[in-house]
Amino acid sequence: MFEFLIHVSTMACLFGLLALSLNLQVGFAGLVNFGHIALFGCGTYGAAIAFANQWGPLAGLLLGGAAAALLALAFARLGRNLGADYWGIATLSIAEILRTFATNEQWLTGGAQGIHGLPMLFGSLPTPWGPLATLALCAVLLAACWALCQRLVNGRYGLALKLLREEPQLASSLGYDLAALRRTPLVISGLIAAVAGFLFAHYATFVGPDQLYSAETFLIWSMLIVGGLGNNLGAVAGAFLMQFLLAYVPFVKDALGLPSEFVAAMRLTLVGGGLLAFLLWRTQGLIPERIGGRHA
Amino acid sequence: MIPLSGASATIGADQLRGIEIATEEVNAKGGVLGQPLKVIVEDSGGRPPSALDAARKLVTVNNVPLVIGEYSSGNTLPIGQYLVQQKRIHLNPASTSGLLRDLGEGHFSLVGLDHVTTKFAADDIMAQGWRKAVIIAPNNAFGQGVIEQFTKHFKAAGGQVLASIAYPEGQTTYRRELQQLAQAKPDVFVYSAYSREGAVINREASELGLNETPWYGYLLSMSTADSDPKTKQGQYGLEVNYIGPNGGAYQDAYKKKYGEDFRTTWNGYTYDAVKIAAAAINKAGSTDPAAIGAALKELGKGYEGATGQITFDANRMRDSQPYLKMKVDNGKLVLR
Repeated sequence: MFEFLIHVSTMACLFGLLALSLNLQVGFAGLVNFGHIALFGCGTYGAAIAFANQWGPLAGLLLGGAAAALLALAFARLGRNLGADYWGIATLSIAEILRTFATNEQWLTGGAQGIHGLPMLFGSLPTPWGPLATLALCAVLLAACWALCQRLVNGRYGLALKLLREEPQLASSLGYDLAALRRTPLVISGLIAAVAGFLFAHYATFVGPDQLYSAETFLIWSMLIVGGLGNNLGAVAGAFLMQFLLAYVPFVKDALGLPSEFVAAMRLTLVGGGLLAFLLWRTQGLIPERIGGRHA
Repeated sequence: MIPLSGASATIGADQLRGIEIATEEVNAKGGVLGQPLKVIVEDSGGRPPSALDAARKLVTVNNVPLVIGEYSSGNTLPIGQYLVQQKRIHLNPASTSGLLRDLGEGHFSLVGLDHVTTKFAADDIMAQGWRKAVIIAPNNAFGQGVIEQFTKHFKAAGGQVLASIAYPEGQTTYRRELQQLAQAKPDVFVYSAYSREGAVINREASELGLNETPWYGYLLSMSTADSDPKTKQGQYGLEVNYIGPNGGAYQDAYKKKYGEDFRTTWNGYTYDAVKIAAAAINKAGSTDPAAIGAALKELGKGYEGATGQITFDANRMRDSQPYLKMKVDNGKLVLR
């Protein structure tokens, strides 16, 4: 039970990182990114390609980070000429193009069969120390990224981001460089997502294009909507809540002696129904955005 | 652990049927080690994070000695690696990726990996006197594996693969791909398709007059299930025989319990997986994974399963499967 808790907590930290990074874009800067999973994919494939070429994990992390930063810059570049909703669709298409690329370029990515056998982080430590060390690393990174995001969004820079979200034209008239204002949060959140991808690749030990379906982006979206868009604590809370609910549904089945189909149905209901409930009755999420220093 | 939600949920539901029948049969005969056999079924969600959740729950919470699963190679590989590392037994009832071969001690595949099936196809095609082939298959882990392995075996057998295309699933037309292949002027078109794409490919191939050249279907029933009888007339192909000589009783049990014929080809493998696992536990006389693994190796010298005889090679992969040489005649598959 304890080991399983470590596992679920580790996964929750990874999804927490993804939720934080998406929140920086959507929640604060108003950048409606539907292709977020591609930034995560840069991290997973960075790790996998470095592993396949025996460059070592550090090179994998750097490679993933560099790819994510480039992709984020490409996203930002698109944003110059497109309205928010069109931009969202464009990010979705780019993510799909990259997934297709990963499926087809067998020489680089292993194609549809992916790359497997990546070493576990702290794999040489005996259980439970290896998994505990992995969890500790993920938790520390999550805390660090949370602190970074907090620092970014509180203060003048955060105000500028929110202005970009609410009134881009006003921001422009006040002398803000909108392109630069879009670029920075995208690159930072791209790097965070890549770190999550790198950790996931070494945790799951397998990287393949099936991990990059757009449904995963929407799962992160639902974590944000449940937790509270525009609030870093809300993003992390949403990720933890969703991950723990999804992972612990099977125990409800075991305890009540329900058939295994129950788990599948319950998971769909939790994600879809939960999302709908929050959209209908509590649009601000569990922990709402703070406006003017007080809960709105 | 099977996909009860997500894109492969239909297959997962059918895998579950095989598990249910096998569990009932084992328990009707006294269970394992004098106690009823308990099979815990977990949903993998068809996505790697949920599959990892399921595998870790089974190992760290339920402390099971043996896990059967999953369906897609993208999930079977990571959980296999985890289970081998945790020194548990892993039975693969569906995935055909050749990478499974390297997972190591503790992993057993109950389905012939793609190199076994493609070798059979390559030899069968050579025997027809067709020396120059082109191949088209879906662009996923299955299709890419088929193309790669078939090309290798066909070359080794002395044939030539002039062109190969991995097509994206779900297109409304495959004319461009077909015309491209036709330019190579092959002796035979080798193809593998899910039934919906197969129908489009066969229709367009006959419109383009390509069906005057022989066609060879890799998993012929899957490839031709939805095709117009006129467009698939005379095609050759192979079929995995998912019902072996001793599978009749199982087929009847399935029909009786669910009131229909097999929904997919995958239920037989999960049935065999549960049965061989129970037999191995009884043979080992304990639930210790190492002892079960040793018993499985012994059983795997010739176990009579519903899907035919199961024998493992040195890497614990099923090394042969009863394949059927088929052709299409008047809209029906017949043995040739």
